[in-house]
Amino acid sequence: MYRIRFHGRGGQGMKTASRILGTAFFLEGLEVQDAPRYGAECRGAPIFAYVRASRSPINERGIIRCPDLVIIADDSLVTVPAAGVLAGVTDQTFMLVSTSEKAVTWSHRLNFAGSILTLPTPVEITDRMELRFVGATCAGAAARLCGIITSATLEQAVREELTGLPSSVIERNLEKALEGYTLMAEHEGCIKEKAMLSAEQYEVPEWINLPFEKASISAPVIHSSLTSELMPTGLWRTMRPVIDREHCKKCWWICSTSCPDGAIDIDADNNPQIDYEHCKGCLTCVTVCPSHAIQAIPEHKNPTSEETGS
Amino acid sequence: MNETLFRRIKDLPSTHLLGTGVPTCAGCGGLQALHQIYDVLGEKTVFVNAAGCMTLLSVYPFTPFRGSWLYTAMAAAPAGAQGIRDALDIQLKKGQITTDDDLQAIVLTGDGAAYGMGMSATSSAIERGLDFVYICYDNEGYGNTGQQYSEATPHAARTSTSKGPQGYPGYKKDLFSIWAAHKPSYVATVIGAEPLDLARKIEKAKEKQGPRLILALSPCPTGWDYDPKESADVGHLAVRTGIWPLKEYEDGKVVHTKVPRKRLPVEEYLKRQGRFSHLFEPMRNEEILTGIQERVDAYWAEIEG
Ligand SMILES: Cc1ncc(C[n+]2csc(CCOP(=O)(O)OP(=O)(O)O)c2C)c(N)n1
Ligand code: SF4
Ligand code: SF4
Ligand code: SF4
Ligand SMILES: [Mg+2]
Repeated sequence: MYRIRFHGRGGQGMKTASRILGTAFFLEGLEVQDAPRYGAECRGAPIFAYVRASRSPINERGIIRCPDLVIIADDSLVTVPAAGVLAGVTDQTFMLVSTSEKAVTWSHRLNFAGSILTLPTPVEITDRMELRFVGATCAGAAARLCGIITSATLEQAVREELTGLPSSVIERNLEKALEGYTLMAEHEGCIKEKAMLSAEQYEVPEWINLPFEKASISAPVIHSSLTSELMPTGLWRTMRPVIDREHCKKCWWICSTSCPDGAIDIDADNNPQIDYEHCKGCLTCVTVCPSHAIQAIPEHKNPTSEETGS
Repeated sequence: MNETLFRRIKDLPSTHLLGTGVPTCAGCGGLQALHQIYDVLGEKTVFVNAAGCMTLLSVYPFTPFRGSWLYTAMAAAPAGAQGIRDALDIQLKKGQITTDDDLQAIVLTGDGAAYGMGMSATSSAIERGLDFVYICYDNEGYGNTGQQYSEATPHAARTSTSKGPQGYPGYKKDLFSIWAAHKPSYVATVIGAEPLDLARKIEKAKEKQGPRLILALSPCPTGWDYDPKESADVGHLAVRTGIWPLKEYEDGKVVHTKVPRKRLPVEEYLKRQGRFSHLFEPMRNEEILTGIQERVDAYWAEIEG
């Protein structure tokens, strides 16, 4: 069986990637499971999807705990524990990272003994809408790594999965899928079909047993408000808005009122302050500031991101 | 009421009541409107929510609200609001709470519930004169389940259930008029991209009693297919092209609160969104584009008389 997990952010086409790959396996005659893991499947939020494919019936269920191949469409997720990118990864696992850095850099950074492959991405992404094609590139790359999917099958799978979308979108996805396929030529077939697990090998997941308790204990009434602030949605950000104090006219409201998340407050000196713990990096504030006083910089270029943890 | 606290944009709140850290998409136009609305409505509110994107706001044990939250079946939010209103009234009558402790019942649903599934419960709540505010964030589709078309989907839009060269064959239902036909105390359209107009309307709605609707067009980067940073532009264009008329109904009259002086062509709005891209490529669909423009022109011709 092949076990493949795709990690990305909502809007990068991870669900589509898993479906394209699943359909391609299916067209090659394998049995397939492909599914996205639903959570907050919102733009920018970490999301994953997975594919199992096998020549015999698949009895495993649920999310893939020990993947043979982990594909990371957005390298900023690696350091986000909640994204679970490294869950179940061993030195037998292959990791394919979409990144502007080198594979060795990632091996050192993660202290990872398994194989790391990279899909090169430009350092500066000028048009974020391009990001949604990254899923197709990943699906194409995965197809090649497994070694049993032809480029014709890949093309058919892309067309089947995207039926009904504008032809320009389909062609762009196809181009990207074949690009991923071609890029992995020298690693063709490096992912080998692994044996199925038997029932004896079943490991109980590390879940927490919640005994059936009285409602007052198991679902206590919450008397505090604003608990959502405990969620660090700042981790969704790939681009960071930065206010240039020289140019800000303290117009007072525009950025603060327009920020969908209410992540900009005005301080006692009438200066807008961005709450980077929660700013999701939508860049609405950049668009609306009449003085063009807010710039967007890639998150990884931000010198303070590590110290603020956001 | 002629006096408004919001005469200039500087009068708008600069700190916000709604908590951060909610799981809506980056750039969500619905959340943008909601946080502006909440700033004016204030914390003496109980939210009654039907399934949709905003259900994710209060996922146990997290909430961005300062008050309570009740989740109902998709068609039943106004009935939930009735229960809350009744409970509060009983407590008031028994002297268990004072009028100072009284709360406003606020229904919060998407368009799927407001224009479709919840219509029956809504109509009868208005008919009973229920004292509540209904906030509908209208992202023109069943957003939370992957943007299937709803009765609020505009003509020709691509949704996950209306693909192909024509897009959605139907036309957006006129919820504003349906509400107004019930003669409630207040109905208003708003949009987060016009915060001053929005704040004044919420201020008005807050002072009134009885059934009130706030209908917020909610640009949705995920369902409408554009970069999140463009939510504000898309919102402005909805108003400036005349596609989203800002208006209110009170005392039997409809007043347009912001008439675009020179309306931009509708395609300025349409071409910014992937859900209409099939109208522009591989070739322009003149027939549909002209049809959409004509309907907007006809609307304003009637208004401007
Ligand atoms: C009776 C019922 N049918 C279907 C669903 C599944 N469902 C959950 S959210 C949703 C979409 C609601 O659309 P809308 O009201 O427009 O809100 P949005 O998701 O766009 O925010 C649907 C269909 C449900 N919860 N209840
Ligand atoms: S919108 Fe621009 S000018 Fe106005 S307060 Fe914000 S940063 Fe300053
Ligand atoms: S990018 Fe700007 S508008 Fe968007 S969440 Fe961050 S502060 Fe708010
Ligand atoms: S799908 Fe649209 S309405 Fe729903 S949270 Fe995302 S942006 Fe907001
Ligand atoms: Mg909706």
